[in-house]
Amino acid sequence: MANPKVAFFKFSSCAGCLLNVINIEPVLLTVLSVIDIEYFVMAKRDNHHGPYTIGFVEGAVTTPKEVLELKKIREECAIVVAMGTCAVTGGVPSIKNFSGMNQDQLTKTVYAENIYDPFLASIPAKGIDHYVKVDAYLRGCSYDLGEFVELIKRALKGEDPMFRPHSVCNECKLKENVCLLVSKGQPCMGSVSAAGCGALCPSLNRQCEGCRGPANDCNAASLAKTFMEDLGLSKDDVVRKFRKYAGNTPEFSKGAEAAL
Amino acid sequence: MSDRRLYVDYLARMEGDGAMDIVIGENGEIKKAAWEVWEPPRFFEAFLIGRKVEEAPELVQRICGICPHAHHIASLRSMERAMGIKVSEQTRLMRELMHYSDWIMSHALHIYCLAAPDFVGYESVVAMAGNPDLLPIVGKALGLKRLGNDMIVAICGNEIQNRTSVLGGFTAVPSKATLQALKERLKAAKEFAFETVKLVVQLGNVAPYNKLERKAEYVSLYDPKRYPINEGRLYSNDGLDVPDEEYPIWILEKHVPSCNCKHATIKGKGIFAVGPLMRVNNNFNTLSADAKKIAAEVGFSVPCFLPYFSIVARALELVHAIDASIELIDVLGEPKREEIKYEYRAGESYAVVEAARGSAMHGGRVDKNGVIQKYDLIAPTARNIASLEADFKAFVPQLLNLSDEELTLKCEMMIRNYDPCQSCATHSVKVNLRREK
Repeated sequence: MANPKVAFFKFSSCAGCLLNVINIEPVLLTVLSVIDIEYFVMAKRDNHHGPYTIGFVEGAVTTPKEVLELKKIREECAIVVAMGTCAVTGGVPSIKNFSGMNQDQLTKTVYAENIYDPFLASIPAKGIDHYVKVDAYLRGCSYDLGEFVELIKRALKGEDPMFRPHSVCNECKLKENVCLLVSKGQPCMGSVSAAGCGALCPSLNRQCEGCRGPANDCNAASLAKTFMEDLGLSKDDVVRKFRKYAGNTPEFSKGAEAAL
Repeated sequence: MSDRRLYVDYLARMEGDGAMDIVIGENGEIKKAAWEVWEPPRFFEAFLIGRKVEEAPELVQRICGICPHAHHIASLRSMERAMGIKVSEQTRLMRELMHYSDWIMSHALHIYCLAAPDFVGYESVVAMAGNPDLLPIVGKALGLKRLGNDMIVAICGNEIQNRTSVLGGFTAVPSKATLQALKERLKAAKEFAFETVKLVVQLGNVAPYNKLERKAEYVSLYDPKRYPINEGRLYSNDGLDVPDEEYPIWILEKHVPSCNCKHATIKGKGIFAVGPLMRVNNNFNTLSADAKKIAAEVGFSVPCFLPYFSIVARALELVHAIDASIELIDVLGEPKREEIKYEYRAGESYAVVEAARGSAMHGGRVDKNGVIQKYDLIAPTARNIASLEADFKAFVPQLLNLSDEELTLKCEMMIRNYDPCQSCATHSVKVNLRREK
């Protein structure tokens, strides 16, 4: 059986999720022996057009050109994977959507002396499933390497990767961490954020910032109230928390709206 | 008669999205030499306004997946300076170790995965690995890159975006046992780092690479006592020597009509370049003893104005980064969890650090409630655009005998010499070759 043809694409983002693909050094050459990378401009000079079996997409969609490219990618790929938070929810680039500035003001703030440049045409930053059907999500900024390898293995077998839908709290409890929210009074987002990272940040005494986006059935509005009433966070602080990595999602919007 | 045009719409083996456009007139004169970054802008400097000061280092590391730690540390240092926060000696050393880890990862990545395939005639490192003679080297290169990554994981929690480093210090520190295990691996990696220097000198020491020289103003941080990575004075080989927080006063941007990127100049002077070659030129004396020794052994000395030798500078820094990391691990001993304490205070400041690919500046103004009022950042790649165009103009006329395909590759290599990071450098560059015949 021929190896599946795999492509890696990048939209508005830091390229970290693409770099992470080659951060699986111990198994990289093994993985490369069971897939054929047909398109990966950051890593190779000789790239080929589709169709592809799997297309991994990094980055938020922030320009009209990217919308068109994304639709073409959807046509060319049997499986489309949103790779990393920017592609999943719009991620860090989506903070501009809630900055209170319109696009013209954003552009003038960054490119003060710039003349009109069509290249700077930018639209609100969205995750890729705002525009096309997505088959699998690799959450996280950046995503978990174990989940990436698992996804490839499952895709090769034609199976659903069955990533966990529950909250970071589950993994934190399994690690027997002291709760940052309840015991230390820190505004940790773990209870509303999707697991799969192994409760990475709370295990390092760093409160979860919700970089993997919302967990299933999360109650963001309640957490927002807890942050304000029990921890004394200001309205602005709470809004900033829910409009950072996944402000576009309906779940985290409820957290931000509960504070407003 | 028509122009000869070299055009590459999506440059490979570099971070981010860019294109190259070169037009050569019938007498071999360069009519256009541009590198265009079409990476879409993400408006960090705008959306950071109104965010909390502690979010700046957390968010700006997301500018770039290859040099997140450089942006992060520059942001930390500038925001801490703005608010008068002093960090402990342990924090300073841990930040240095964190950043050297990134250099090891990034330099190993650039040398073997991004730059070397051009020199040895492969389209990628994967293709190189297909050659049984080269496979062991690729394996070792990936091992060295992994070592940098494992150091980053030990200090920061995971490979790309750090989790532990925050304003004022670290939320968690690695154990002595973890650091000692890394130290043993670093010691073992030295031999391959030496081999790397010897190998890349061979790659660079062939025509035309060893003939393409362009004297220029080289800018980097400088410290007479310690190789600069996170701290130092802003310095050039032609007389610039000022505190790093004065970067916005001394480095000016101007819009050049024929180019849609902003060119950076030194106040009262011309264009300049940043990067490992520039750092090594300015700071050769403070490289580790073994880095200097291997440099002497392979016949590398400064000043060196050969852009294609940036790969050699990178390899020397790889040796140095390993030595410096070993020393830092020894000094750190058993790191302690330190309490992080600071208060918000209004202020404004800027700071420069040396990203693997050159000087990066961050800074801005914070109000008394710790809310950001203004934020500026300048990535190394944006600084090098004018310098790259000067390379094109100086070198392409010497390479006109080459076929379009060969000349395009040589021009792409001129770009890769700077190890550009186009996600960082959104105001920029396009290669596209057209010759008049």
